[in-house]
Amino acid sequence: MNKKSSKKSSSNENYSHLELFNLGKIFFKEKKFIDFRSKGNRSGFEAIKDINLKIEKNTFVSIIGPSGCGKSTLLNLIAGLQAPTSGKIVIDGQAIKGPGPDRGVIFQNYALMPWLTTIQNIEFALNTVFPAKTKADVKERARKYLRMVGLEKASNKFPKELSGGMKQRVAIARALSINPNMLLMDEPFGALDALTRSYLQDELLSIWRRNKVTVVLITHSIEEALLLSDKIVLMSSGPSAIISEEISVDLERPRDREKIEQDPKYLKIKMRLEKHLLRETRAVEEVT
Amino acid sequence: MNKAISTRLAFAVAILSLLIFIILWQVIAQQGLLVKNFPGSFKTIGSLIWWVSDPFFDNGPNDLGIGTNLLISLRRVLIGYSLAVLVAVPLGVLMGMSKLAQSSLNPYVQLLKPVSPLAWLPVGLFVFRNSEITGIFVIFITSIWPTLINTAFGVASINPDYLRVSKSLGASKSTTIRRVILPAIMPNILAGMRISMGTAWLVIVAAEMLLGTGIGYFIWNEWNNLSLENIFVAIIIIGFTGFILDQFFGFLQDKFDYSI
Repeated sequence: MNKKSSKKSSSNENYSHLELFNLGKIFFKEKKFIDFRSKGNRSGFEAIKDINLKIEKNTFVSIIGPSGCGKSTLLNLIAGLQAPTSGKIVIDGQAIKGPGPDRGVIFQNYALMPWLTTIQNIEFALNTVFPAKTKADVKERARKYLRMVGLEKASNKFPKELSGGMKQRVAIARALSINPNMLLMDEPFGALDALTRSYLQDELLSIWRRNKVTVVLITHSIEEALLLSDKIVLMSSGPSAIISEEISVDLERPRDREKIEQDPKYLKIKMRLEKHLLRETRAVEEVT
Repeated sequence: MNKAISTRLAFAVAILSLLIFIILWQVIAQQGLLVKNFPGSFKTIGSLIWWVSDPFFDNGPNDLGIGTNLLISLRRVLIGYSLAVLVAVPLGVLMGMSKLAQSSLNPYVQLLKPVSPLAWLPVGLFVFRNSEITGIFVIFITSIWPTLINTAFGVASINPDYLRVSKSLGASKSTTIRRVILPAIMPNILAGMRISMGTAWLVIVAAEMLLGTGIGYFIWNEWNNLSLENIFVAIIIIGFTGFILDQFFGFLQDKFDYSI
């Protein structure tokens, strides 16, 4: 299933695309200028601990868990936006030190710059990552990715003139334009209405099929995870969240969103996920 | 169509209220209801026309045309204000980005901000021995605080998503400042600049009463001439100029409003 990709990292197939080893993140309280009470021993909030995970090249993996379980923290760590407190993150056999253009990040709130037009938002990413490219080159490439998400006509519009779904498509185009081999998505469709969400899910699947990228998707929707993923990673409730289960979704592709719901395999996994989420959510809600 | 009518109506009401005001003013002054020899509106309008019809004469420092005086004031404000913006924006960005800069500079800002800028006038005269530079210095001090504070606030409250995008692309610090932070806080900078300009225009009149030349000195001079109607002329001119300046910044703010 793993087609040989022509990307720079094809030299060694012995390791997975992404490997997490004993990853942990503690958020320490900001140290006050004068602090008599704590006397040096810093207490903090442990978001995740002992996360071990392997993600294979060009697979689609969803991370699902109750709200506040540290899913976003995990994604931020993989993106290199935050540094882990313990453990390490290895991509293509190399421990990462920070963010890099090998990973494209897509945020829930689109994170488009409102002072730039659609195409300028993509050009900003391209100029940052490829400073040597000529202006014409950048423009052409930006246009190509806008065409890919079907928004070529909106290239001179500002984000405020676009719908939520269109904004997220621009964000996807921006993330892909820098030619990453991994796409990190933090609940990208969470703020969209149901119809737009289905449309974008299909769009994402076809983009994934054409572009050969590894996708890590954070979601709280079981249906979304089942429709899209090769593997679903279940996280326990926080604080100190761990990975409680990994489920591979061996449903045939392409998956039809109507037919798939009659598949007994689908229903079995769905039930298992529901049970888990319910249990973990109960754990969150009944603590207080 | 309804809107067109209401705009016309608003205009008519404004004209009407102005007419009533002018007539009342004239009647009260003529009857000596306020104080004796208080100039009426007709006399004031007459001298307004006289001053405006030949605004740029120069018969020595105590007899300058009102346009000449206005330009002197505007020049001082523009220089002092521009210098203040050039200092306040980078300093504000620094304060917004760095905890260290914030905690080392904030005490001065908080202490100096509430002081009337006129308190710096003797200091300026002592240091510069020059009334022109002192005027510019006072305007500089006046203009710096609102722009500085607004800029720092803008940086501190910037949408973290923009910074995350920039960071995830591996953008350098200078790229992030130039391409992300500065455009993102443009509305804050302009809001600060608008307040700074408003205050500078208030302060220059008071400062010039003590410095000589300029529209503020014009008022002081006309007080020595006991010519109240000329003081009213100056008030009208100052108000009108301040209005134009404020509108200019209002226009800029609309251009850089990303929200709608």
